[in-house]
Amino acid sequence: MDWVFLSELAINGALTGLLYSLFAIGLVLIYKASSVPNLAQGGLTMVGAYVVLALARDVGLPLWLAIPLAAVVMFGLGFGIERVALRRLAGRPVVMILMLTLGLDIFLRGTTLAIWGGTSRSMELGVSYDPLFLGDIFISRIHLVGAGVALALFVAFMLFFRTRTGIKLRAIADDYMASWSVGISVERGVGLSWALASVVAVAAGVIWGEIQGVDQALSLLLLKGLTVAVLGGLDSILGAVIAGIILGVVENVGADFLDPLVGGGSRELIVAAVLILTVMIRPHGLFGRHDIERV
Amino acid sequence: MQEKVEAQNILSMNSVEVLYDNVILAIKGVSVQVPKGEMIALLGSNGAGKSTTLKAISGLLKAERGRISRGEITFQGADITEALAQKRVEMGICHVIEGRRVFEHLTPDENLTAAAPRGMSRSTLNAEKDKIYAYFPRLAERKNSQAGYLSGGEQQMLAIGRALVTQPKLLMLDEPSLGLAPFLVEEIFGILQKINKDEGLSVLLVEQNALAALEIVSQGYLIENGRVVMHGTAEALKSNSDIQEFYLGGGETDFHNVKHYSRRKRWLS
Repeated sequence: MDWVFLSELAINGALTGLLYSLFAIGLVLIYKASSVPNLAQGGLTMVGAYVVLALARDVGLPLWLAIPLAAVVMFGLGFGIERVALRRLAGRPVVMILMLTLGLDIFLRGTTLAIWGGTSRSMELGVSYDPLFLGDIFISRIHLVGAGVALALFVAFMLFFRTRTGIKLRAIADDYMASWSVGISVERGVGLSWALASVVAVAAGVIWGEIQGVDQALSLLLLKGLTVAVLGGLDSILGAVIAGIILGVVENVGADFLDPLVGGGSRELIVAAVLILTVMIRPHGLFGRHDIERV
Repeated sequence: MQEKVEAQNILSMNSVEVLYDNVILAIKGVSVQVPKGEMIALLGSNGAGKSTTLKAISGLLKAERGRISRGEITFQGADITEALAQKRVEMGICHVIEGRRVFEHLTPDENLTAAAPRGMSRSTLNAEKDKIYAYFPRLAERKNSQAGYLSGGEQQMLAIGRALVTQPKLLMLDEPSLGLAPFLVEEIFGILQKINKDEGLSVLLVEQNALAALEIVSQGYLIENGRVVMHGTAEALKSNSDIQEFYLGGGETDFHNVKHYSRRKRWLS
């Protein structure tokens, strides 16, 4: 057993996992306010990356300006989605809202294809591809940057949910009717959660766009992001971070053992196994809340 | 004279009809007046239309796909029949909905924070909280535990406290005594009476527990099958034979001292 190699796999797995968390945080934000897994989060992430590129390449702004501007645009888009589409569905069965988010994902993919085509574009963040060595361990710089962004967002949202607005959002997640009864604007709260998730999508879109290029395939991040969110408990941001690290490590280390045995492709199997086993064994995930039953 | 009486009512509900899903007639022409600073009870059995009446006043009907199809509701002289629920809370109507419904995953302190109106300063919010904790010392003791694990009585206190943060002028409570031990009902009703007296808060109380309710209110309405079938002072209702028989649980009636009430005539009112 080569311990250096194993720890390299584990560390890089954990960093990749934090990038999944970066994506999953957006899912958790929307789930917390609407109790719906947002199937369009992949689409939003892709659009976030495209908007950054549009501002940087097509308009010609520097990246340090294009990224925050894209965040503002996406913040508005998130509010717009609630106003135009979700508000009409208030009080309808959750499955209807779920189908709406699926439709939205398809719509966003089609729109980007129509505007920017299907050729992969590069983000060119300017992060060096020279390997970073930690002792004998090789670490990817862009993954390190992305993991840092994920952790920064995690801290920011933990603090946000202690503010008055954050507490109101948590109240909405707990009980719509009771929220209405004390004058909380449920509509505005749901809109805000979509807006924040869209901002997170910009961050995830930039990092993942840098890693795998910007094209419609970015929206497929949903599958791993959703697995992480479910494992973490869907409504827990801490859960999303820890589950991301777990999935990243298990996937990276596991694939190294299994790939020679099955001839490759075991990553997808490991992700599928984690998702299915979570739902079967621990449906509310590692940190998800379950409904309180007093005896 | 009539107009003067109107002006003293903080809430006036005139011949209101409510439809659910456009077909089910839940209340059929209910008229209820709440005089300013008084406590009024709506009595009646399950499914009589008491909760629907409160939801029509607070605007929460919309969340259950109900609507007011006839009649009007005025609050402090303003027509609120079509106003949004949120607007009505801002105007000073707060509805403590049935079944307590505290925010279970928040602490009691956060429950109070969540109800703070937009733009309320931190110092005002803290002053409101202190006042509420003074009314409900049990809440102060547990303000940082999880609300879902509070006892039923504490949750009811929290639901009332949460409503008070919105600084209501009219507080409406739907079955606050439900599932609580008699001593707790007494404690909570006592606190309601105190708030009513101290702050001049008008209260509209929906109760199945007519006995407890009639002890603290000045007037009561009896609702059956979506209609008001009786209205009078608490004293008059307590001594009414029908009320005694059906709602207070008293079997013996002294027909010499109590005017007999013809039940068939109720439908004409």
